[in-house]
Amino acid sequence: MIYRSQRVAYFYFLAAVVLFTLQVAFGFLLIAKYLGPDPLLNVLNFATAKEIHTNLLLVWLLTGFMGAAYYLVPEESRTEIHSETLAWVQLGLWLAIGVTTVVGYLFGVTEGRKFLEMPFVLKLGVVVVFVLFLYNIAMTIRKAGRFTTTEGVLIGGLAAAALLFIPGLIHFDNYTLDRFYRWWVVHLWVEGVWELIQGALLAFLLIRLSGADREVLEKWLYVIVGLTFLSGILGTGHHYYWIGTPHYWLWVGGVFGALEPLAFLGMATYAYNTLRRSGMAHPNTIALHWTIGSALFSTLGAGILGLSHTWPQVNQWTHGTHVTTMHGHMAFFGAYVMIVLAIISYALPALTGRNDEERQTALGIWAFWLMVAGMFGMTMAFAASGITQTYLERILGLGYLETQQKIQVHYLMVLGTATIFATGVAAFLLDFVRAGAPQTAARAMPAGAVAAR
Amino acid sequence: MTKATTRRFFFLGTLAFTLVFIGLTIHTHTTISARTHDETLTDGVRRGLRVWGAYNCENCHTLLGEGAYYAPDLTQIVAQRGEVYLGEFLANPSRFYSEARNGRLMPTLGLSRQQIEDVIAFLGWVGKIDTNGWPPRPIVVSGVSVRGLPGVETSATAAGPAARGQSIFNGPGACSTCHSVAGDVILVGPSLAQVAVRAGQRVTDPAYTGKAKDADGYLHESILDPNAFLVPGDRFATPTHTSLMPPTYSAALSPAQVDDLVAYLKTLD
Repeated sequence: MIYRSQRVAYFYFLAAVVLFTLQVAFGFLLIAKYLGPDPLLNVLNFATAKEIHTNLLLVWLLTGFMGAAYYLVPEESRTEIHSETLAWVQLGLWLAIGVTTVVGYLFGVTEGRKFLEMPFVLKLGVVVVFVLFLYNIAMTIRKAGRFTTTEGVLIGGLAAAALLFIPGLIHFDNYTLDRFYRWWVVHLWVEGVWELIQGALLAFLLIRLSGADREVLEKWLYVIVGLTFLSGILGTGHHYYWIGTPHYWLWVGGVFGALEPLAFLGMATYAYNTLRRSGMAHPNTIALHWTIGSALFSTLGAGILGLSHTWPQVNQWTHGTHVTTMHGHMAFFGAYVMIVLAIISYALPALTGRNDEERQTALGIWAFWLMVAGMFGMTMAFAASGITQTYLERILGLGYLETQQKIQVHYLMVLGTATIFATGVAAFLLDFVRAGAPQTAARAMPAGAVAAR
Repeated sequence: MTKATTRRFFFLGTLAFTLVFIGLTIHTHTTISARTHDETLTDGVRRGLRVWGAYNCENCHTLLGEGAYYAPDLTQIVAQRGEVYLGEFLANPSRFYSEARNGRLMPTLGLSRQQIEDVIAFLGWVGKIDTNGWPPRPIVVSGVSVRGLPGVETSATAAGPAARGQSIFNGPGACSTCHSVAGDVILVGPSLAQVAVRAGQRVTDPAYTGKAKDADGYLHESILDPNAFLVPGDRFATPTHTSLMPPTYSAALSPAQVDDLVAYLKTLD
C-alpha cells in the first residue's frame, strides 16, 4: 500500500467476498427447490430466492469494482483519494441500500423486473452512491493531474454503467418497451461497459504482474474495448428477436452478437502474449492464476458459450431454457467474478502489510482450482439440462412439467459440482481472513509495483 | 499502429455504432404501436403488468421467453387454457397441481379477484404481440403439444371430416392443451378417450340436465355450451358452477368445424 487512503479498498473487498459467499448460499437454496419438494413454498418462494441470488451477484461485483477503483486510482494517479471519508460514507450507504433491498425482498417488496427488481426509491439511492463515487474519483484525478489510459477506461466503464442505469428507472406500460429498455441496462452493462472495467483491470494486472510495457498494453486495451463496443452495442439486438420488435433485429443481433466473442478473444490473446514476452515471474501466483483465468474463462463462458445460442436460428429453440443458465454462469464467473478475485488477490498483500512472497498460500491456489472445477462442472450440468430441455420441450413438444421431471438428474449434477465450487469460495474467504488485519498506515511500495514503473 | 490510432478506432467506432443503434431505436419505436396492438392496451392490461411485477412472476416463469426457468413459459397461456380456468388456478394452484404428482407447485399468492382479472388481461394482451413467429412450436405446461396450436398455421385441408377435426383439435381449437386423448390423463378438462361411448351413456343418465338426445348432440352441446351440463368432479368447474372450459367456441369455430371436431372425437378409443 503506497497511499494511506487505499486502505478503504480492503473493506470494499471484504464486503464483496462476504456477499459472494451469501450469493452462493442462496444458489444452494435454488437448486434444492429444483430438486424439490419445497417446504418453504409459501415462506420464501423460488422467485424471492432467485432475485436475492442474482442481485447479490450484481451488488458484490459492483462493490469489488468500486474497491478496485479506490485501490488502483491512487497508484495510477499517484495521490491520496480526494476524500477518504466520502469513500467510507459511500460504502456505508451502498451496504445499507443492499441490506434494505434484500430485507424488502423477503417481505415481498419488489418491482419484479429481472435483475432490476430493486424498488424505485432504492434505485435512486444507487444513483446517489454512484454520483458520490464518481465525484470522489474525478476529484482525486483532478487533484493529481495525472491520468492514465488504464484508469480512464476503468472510470469510463463505471461512469457509463451509472449512466446506463437510468433507463432502468423508467416504467413503461407497454411490455415490449419495458423489455426493450431493460436490456439497455442489462445487456449494455454486462456485454458492454462492464467489459471496459474488466479490460482495464486486466491491463492493470498485466502491467503489474508481468512488468510489460505500459504504452504497448494501453494501445491494445483500446483495440479490445473498441471491439467490445463495435460488437456489443448492436449486439443488444440478440435480445430483440422475439419481444415484439421489428424483424431486422434478427439480422442485426445475429451478426453483431456473433462478433461479441472477438473482444474476449482479444483479451485472452493479450494476456497470453504479454506473459509470453514479459514472463510471469511475479511472486503473487494467486493473482496470476485469477488474471489468466479471467482472460481464458471469459472467452469460453461469455464468448464461445454466448455464441452457441446467439444465432436466431438456434435461439428460437433455446430461448428461455437452461442453455441461458449455462452461458450465464460461466460468463459472469469468467469475465467478472474472476477479475474481481484477481484484483483482490493482487491488492491483498499490500493492504494487509505483507510481502507478495507470503501470499503464495496453498489455500489460495486450492480456492482457485476448486472454483474453476466447480464452475466448469456446473456449466456442463446446465448445458446437459438445457440441451435436453430444448430437445424434449421445444422440439418434440413435451410439456414443461414432464420435461422437468425427466431432467432431474442434471440438477443433482449441479448440486454436486456446486458443492465443489462452494468449497472453493469458502477457501477464498478463509484465505482472505488469514491474510490478516488491514494495514492502517502507508509503507514502502511492494516489489512488484516498483518493478512496474 | 500507434496508441493514437487505436484510441481513434475506439472513439470513432463507438460513436458510429452508438448512432446506428439510436437510429434503429427510433425506428423501432414507430413500429411498436402496430406490432403490440396498442389500441387493445387497456387499463386492465396496465394494471396487470404491475401485478406481474409486484408478485415477481418472472423470477419463476418466462414470458416471451424472458425470466426464470423454474416454471412454464406463459406467452400463449390465455389462448391455450382460457380465462375461466386461469382465474381458478391463480386463486388456488394446489387445486390443480401437486408437488407429489407434478414435481412443482406454484405458491398461493393471495391475489384479489381484480388482480387475477388484470394479470390475465395482461397475459392475453402479451399473447397477441407480433413476436416474429416465436415460439416456432407451441410450448405447453403439461401433456404434449401437437404441432399447430394458436398462432401457428395448420393444415386443415386434410381429407375427411375426422382428419380435419383432428387438425382443429390440435390446432386452432387448442383442445389438446387441456384435454388428453389418453385414458386416465387429466390435464385440465376430462380425458376424451372413449368420449363417444360415455356421451351415449350420459344422455340416458337421470342426472343429466342438458338438452341433447344422443352422443352426437351431447358432444356438440359440450363444445358450444359448456355450461349446459357439468361433468361431475370439482376439478372441472368453479365453486359457483361455471365450467372451466372457454365458452367462446360458438364464436371461434364455424358450424362445419364443430361437425368435423365431433367426427374426430367419435373416433377416440
